Amino acid sequence: MDSMQDRGLAWRSGGSIVARRLLLDRQAEFWMGELDPVRSLGEIRARVVEVVEETDDTKTFVLRPNAAWQGHRAGQFTPVDVEVNGVRVRRCYSISSPPGEALVSITVKRVPGGRVSTWLHEHTRRGDILRLGAAAGDFVLPAATPEKLLLLSGGSGITPVMSMLRDLAARDAMHDVAFVHHARSRADVIFDEELTELAARHAGLRLVLCLDDEPSAPRGFEEARFANLVPDFAERSTFLCGPGPLMERAERLWESVGASDLLERESFAPAIAPTLVVSSAEGVQVRLARSDRAVAVKGQGTLLEQLELAGERPAHGCRIGICHSCKCRKQSGTVQNLVTGEVSSEPDQEIQLCISVPRSDLELDL
Amino acid sequence: MTTQSKNLTREEADAFGRELDALRQEVIADLGERDVEHIRQIIRTANLSEAAGRVLLHFGFGPVSFVLGTSALGLSKILENMEIGHNIMHGQYDWTRDPALNSQRYEWDNVCTGDDWRHSHNYEHHTFTNILGKDRDIGYGFLRVAPEQPWKPVHLTQPIVATFLALLFQWGVGAHDLRIDELFAGKQTPAQFGKRARPFVTKAGWQLFKDYAFFPALALANAPRVALGNLLANGTRNLWTYAVIFCGHFPEGVRVYTEAETRDESRGQWYVRQLNGSANIEGGRWLHVLTGHLSHQIEHHLFPDIPGARYPEMAPRVREICAHYGQAYNTGSFRHQLSSVIGRVARLSLPGPKPAAKAMRAAPAEAATPLTYRAAA
Repeated sequence: MDSMQDRGLAWRSGGSIVARRLLLDRQAEFWMGELDPVRSLGEIRARVVEVVEETDDTKTFVLRPNAAWQGHRAGQFTPVDVEVNGVRVRRCYSISSPPGEALVSITVKRVPGGRVSTWLHEHTRRGDILRLGAAAGDFVLPAATPEKLLLLSGGSGITPVMSMLRDLAARDAMHDVAFVHHARSRADVIFDEELTELAARHAGLRLVLCLDDEPSAPRGFEEARFANLVPDFAERSTFLCGPGPLMERAERLWESVGASDLLERESFAPAIAPTLVVSSAEGVQVRLARSDRAVAVKGQGTLLEQLELAGERPAHGCRIGICHSCKCRKQSGTVQNLVTGEVSSEPDQEIQLCISVPRSDLELDL
Repeated sequence: MTTQSKNLTREEADAFGRELDALRQEVIADLGERDVEHIRQIIRTANLSEAAGRVLLHFGFGPVSFVLGTSALGLSKILENMEIGHNIMHGQYDWTRDPALNSQRYEWDNVCTGDDWRHSHNYEHHTFTNILGKDRDIGYGFLRVAPEQPWKPVHLTQPIVATFLALLFQWGVGAHDLRIDELFAGKQTPAQFGKRARPFVTKAGWQLFKDYAFFPALALANAPRVALGNLLANGTRNLWTYAVIFCGHFPEGVRVYTEAETRDESRGQWYVRQLNGSANIEGGRWLHVLTGHLSHQIEHHLFPDIPGARYPEMAPRVREICAHYGQAYNTGSFRHQLSSVIGRVARLSLPGPKPAAKAMRAAPAEAATPLTYRAAA
């Protein structure tokens, strides 16, 4: 109990934190939101200024973010928070608009059974407010535009490369760009009109659409057809984004010609990682991000017990799941709540260490 | 109401606990938009009420606007401390993942710091509820509220001490986690005490500055009126929260436990103790909201991290389960519970009575759920 007390003291807040939480986080934030829901002291919020139906299952949301938005680089994504039945859920969406503009667009394909994409499609209207995170991601055009570029995409994977294409067009840097996109049919090509228009305007842009429903065409990415279309692909700086099978086949092709170092890729990983449910007896790795340590956890016991066995001293209280003192953010991995039996696989969820058991390798904000 | 709870064997207590767990699961699965809307509506009401109160105090003149302004400010403080602050800090809305409703970051309009509260209340009081020597909320270390506490001559003064505590309740709450008694008993060094007290002193200074310097100064000539209004609003909130909290744990029929009785307690037995250590107040929707749903103290102690606004609909089910296991469900009108508490505090200022004989808990049986969770293999 005494050591618990000392640890308790360590995370007690100083006076300035108290004032900030009381006055700024709570009251100032409330009144700012009352005056204008897009304003906030800390959160990046954006007003939806337009909703564009791109295809049957894809919509673009044109957003005007508040002053907290720091801009993005072509190819990056932004986390988007929406509230689904009272619960905030976060998904990352590639930004499809070019950098440097006041308006920011995300283009969202409706995923069957996808909570957030369905919610955005069904409930988000012009004038609504969305919460964003700072733009992130390494899938970006280099500062010096490469002479020869290849943008290779499939389906909704077009969104980040569209931002790149629009950026090149806006900067008039379209020297030699091959844009190869795969879709089921012409009607499924997102940004179809704009692509045609850009190709007509820029002599340096070659637009190739590979459609599944063309007579005698292969489905999806096919090496022979592709090598025919872009014979010099191995010499081009390539940006690849699309469904898993397309990405895998393309990566193998680049590997086979020894050009992998010219290939940049962005994959839209499924929001919920395939649940690797291991019994904790098998042992898992728990990475503590803040202290930059890794702990091997083996055998039975809650995360709290396991961490303590390994010499860690995380903050905690009741040890039975009622006081919430041991709450911490799980950045990735799967845990199971022993009281409710609930399995949590989504990234960035708050978990209670004293009643959670690891079900996969984990990364904790500790 | 004065009927005693039947003593349950460990197996019976665990079966009782399983039924409560099932009820808990059912409500958790149903949490959603209406719960978030409720708390946001109360937050809005509290903020608008505060703004209205301040405008009336700052710019009004005469007694009518003074009384209205003070009442509106007091109402906002009561809502903020009880339904909003207390409940959010319990983690009742953590499932929403809204940072404004996050238990670990919330800071309330009270001299007690959020962090001290989370430790002394959420952890100590809710884990060790009504265990003599472990729950420091039993009479807060200086009042005798149960006959099991040994009588000392100092308890003769407790009707007066309790009255002062009621008027200055937020200061009692704020200083509670500093363990001043341990300083005098030599159980903590002045250095430890100083370290422990620093956040409280900072926050208290901040609160005093806000209520009695900053806002009065803004009101220029109306400064004395504003300072007095703030004082009365804080005092009203103090009296109200004191009354609600004393009615929750100290009326007749609520029992205390010894450490020995609760050794190796199972989750089911923890539930039994929470039930027998709490008492409800009956009333309408607004009474419940103004008490932060602590009028449903029993449901709150059984399910501290379920949104309080759900307690009224859970209560009939809890009562049924209690009846089935022969457990008393201590409830009564506000007047009844309050007079019971006042009578008890007055009676216990004198020596005696002999604690009512209660059968000890049945000896632990094997293969029951231990209180600390073990991972299933």
